[in-house]
Amino acid sequence: MTKPTPAGIDPRGPRFGASITSVLLLITVFLGLDAATVDAAFYLLVAISALFAIGAIFGLSKHPYGLLFKKFVRPRLSAPTELEDPRPPKFAQAVGLFVASVGILLHLSGVEFGVAYAAGAAFIAAFLNAAFAYCLGCQMYLGLKRLGLFRRG
Amino acid sequence: MPFETKLALIAALIGVAALAGIYWKAQTGRAKLVKSGELVDLAKLQATKNGKPVTKFGRKATVLQFSTEVCSQCKQTARLLSEVEAKHQDLLHIEVDVTNRLDLAAHFKVLQTPTTLVLDSSGRVKARIGGAPKPATVQAELAKLEI
Repeated sequence: MTKPTPAGIDPRGPRFGASITSVLLLITVFLGLDAATVDAAFYLLVAISALFAIGAIFGLSKHPYGLLFKKFVRPRLSAPTELEDPRPPKFAQAVGLFVASVGILLHLSGVEFGVAYAAGAAFIAAFLNAAFAYCLGCQMYLGLKRLGLFRRG
Repeated sequence: MPFETKLALIAALIGVAALAGIYWKAQTGRAKLVKSGELVDLAKLQATKNGKPVTKFGRKATVLQFSTEVCSQCKQTARLLSEVEAKHQDLLHIEVDVTNRLDLAAHFKVLQTPTTLVLDSSGRVKARIGGAPKPATVQAELAKLEI
């Protein structure tokens, strides 16, 4: 209420990004289940974390998937019926970054299947967003804030 | 790990995510009856509407919507409820941002946004809707309060 509301974004943008992310996370889980391919899974998770970081810091409109959506997908769709506040999906990217970072730390401290656990958890969130438009990160915001886990604004 | 085991685990993961989504879809936006609900205290709520403090409830009913800054469905719910409000003189729609009013979030046990409380003419809580409600759900709850 004190800050002006940022310009709205097409709500299908974050869902488009979440579908790519969920496919990548599923591949990460698959590779992370085998000792022979766990290194590849680890590097994939690092790359996904970097993408989450871009979304969490600069917002989804500057994220590669956001640019891809704007350039190739949105022109083929009808105009959106309504625009969405960009802050919830941005916050959700930060939650994704946190979960992926936990996987990276687990792997580096030698926990078996650490990458697969974290990628699996992140997959559930990304899939719910892509398939059901359910934003788990957004839902967690109030709960986390009530627990006093972070301060904002 | 054998290829088949890995595939089975991946399938199980997708299954769990799909079930979670189906469960959420089934229960979100539904109205739950509140038995002997509390009387909402407007002085404590300190809600504003169009820049003015809210001092009175709707003549027959009030829909009290809790939102946050970080909420993907609050805006569409606010639009739906103000559309319904515009059609009925006796209905008041109040939206409260609880991002910085954690006291209210705790008091009304708001865990998700939007959460909407349906109040009767005296301001007593009659129903609670967690998630974005469907227009028909709102109409059905208001019909119970003769709107």
